[in-house]
Amino acid sequence: MIRMREVAIVGAGITRFGVREASWRDLVQEAGKAVFDDVPNLDKKDIDSLFVGAAQPERWVFQTHVAPYVAELLGINVSRVISRTEVACASGQAAIRYAWLAVATGLSDVAMVVGVEKMNSKFMSVSQSSMINVGNREFDGVNGFTAPPFFAMVAQRHMHEFGTTSEQLAMVRVKNSYYGARNPYAQFQKEVTVEKVLGSRMVAPPLTLFDCSAITDGACALILTSEERAREFTDTPVWILGGVQHVDSAHTTNQFGDLSHWVGLRKAAKDLYSMLKISPDDIDMAEVHDCFTISEILEYEELGFCKKGEGGKFIEEGESYIGGKVAVNPGGGLLSNGHPLGATGVRQAWEMVMQFRGEVPEERYVNGAEIGIAHNLSGMAQLHHIMAYSIYKRKDLKQEV
Amino acid sequence: MASHTRRKLKLPDQIPLNPLLDLWEQQEPEGPDATRIYEFYRSLAEGKFVTTRCITCGKIHFPPLIVCPNCNGEDLEWIEIPEEGELYAFTELKLGAPVIVEDYAPFVIAVARFGNYPENGVQISGMMFDVSYEDLKVGDRVTWEIMEIVGPGDKTRYWYCFTRV
Repeated sequence: MIRMREVAIVGAGITRFGVREASWRDLVQEAGKAVFDDVPNLDKKDIDSLFVGAAQPERWVFQTHVAPYVAELLGINVSRVISRTEVACASGQAAIRYAWLAVATGLSDVAMVVGVEKMNSKFMSVSQSSMINVGNREFDGVNGFTAPPFFAMVAQRHMHEFGTTSEQLAMVRVKNSYYGARNPYAQFQKEVTVEKVLGSRMVAPPLTLFDCSAITDGACALILTSEERAREFTDTPVWILGGVQHVDSAHTTNQFGDLSHWVGLRKAAKDLYSMLKISPDDIDMAEVHDCFTISEILEYEELGFCKKGEGGKFIEEGESYIGGKVAVNPGGGLLSNGHPLGATGVRQAWEMVMQFRGEVPEERYVNGAEIGIAHNLSGMAQLHHIMAYSIYKRKDLKQEV
Repeated sequence: MASHTRRKLKLPDQIPLNPLLDLWEQQEPEGPDATRIYEFYRSLAEGKFVTTRCITCGKIHFPPLIVCPNCNGEDLEWIEIPEEGELYAFTELKLGAPVIVEDYAPFVIAVARFGNYPENGVQISGMMFDVSYEDLKVGDRVTWEIMEIVGPGDKTRYWYCFTRV
């Protein structure tokens, strides 16, 4: 068994998310500059590894071999590990996961993570058509089975089996827009009401436009290092406690099983809690993958914040607001920030860093938080990724909790 | 200073849409675009909707495959998908349809189960036309129907959709 080193995030930088008048290259440079400014003690020569989360640069900006290009744009030379990760919507967290593993095993001492996606262009319908390739293109995509119809059917089944309502779905957006309105980097910074969500244009019933996250441009970057070097760079390191991934062999509709049960997420959460010897009650805040409002409701359930089938009630009772049982998406989630695929998972970690450092506006600050998790899903919710972050090192976690 | 004309590179009048947006491209029996499950498409042309079952372990696949992922067996047989199934879930795509079928939006997209899923059946997605979201309910009986995909040019290919029984 390899002895795993403790790993910290010592720097974090983000671009404004949205429909940006900026190219893919511009976004990479903006995020790079932001993270270098965040860690003034870092000499670029210290960075030995680079992990780039990017989902479809081949389709959206017609560029491949993107990790070496990012190294060039940021002026870094990589001598240990360089890689681009692609698992669609979770490409960003996958990049963090591999950077964590590289530093934990001693292969890398200082690793950089960049998540980036440029999705808006004048070829908007082509961009949307590219989302079809995330599922089984030949056998599902061909039927127009892209993300909104898939999550609409998840919502329909959840309503059918557990009595969840459109109002409860809308309440997720209301909460996340409240926090998003206090996040200057978010694509949408306006509060909305339940009526506004229900009255917005229908995308795929029962989901309206406001039940869906947007097509977004954005980038986010992190610097990771080991326990030995963390204090060279910051007084406020945020520690990576661990991470899990789970996928069942499911890519096509035939393998999905029941849409209203995300078995993969349930298994991933169980693995994470057993790895860290914690329970859902120990989690103070969670950035979860609310690509659609219904997703967040299933995530409450499968992450163990409430019983199966009671996710609708959980939001209705305000349990996922700051001050409730667990603060969910205090950064505004994907619904407010938008969802630039490769950048989303990295933004979730960025939010954790800002929260633990106390560098967020008071109305969305989770005061006293000790453990936070980030959940990033991909595809038709088959692949689930969770990472746990803390102000404590793993070895210093109170074992009695 | 002597004036000079700048060199010009004249591009085509029209740059066609990325061919990858054609979602039915892989239906060829031979050549570099050939698929080894061509039998599936040949059957569609004949009005049959089939898939593979592994003779060794009995596993039914969808999509049809050339190697069984359950037991690695290559001894597979073609079986017909039952004509009638049950609507498991559905929605209607009103915004964001793929470019190639944009003209048909809004249309219903459904997931239906044929046979005794998952043990001895399949769960499949499909389009539904001439029906709207409000007309349908979970559990409705549906059947598959073969349709012709006409174009681009004089090309004809085959696919399936669902209709309510």
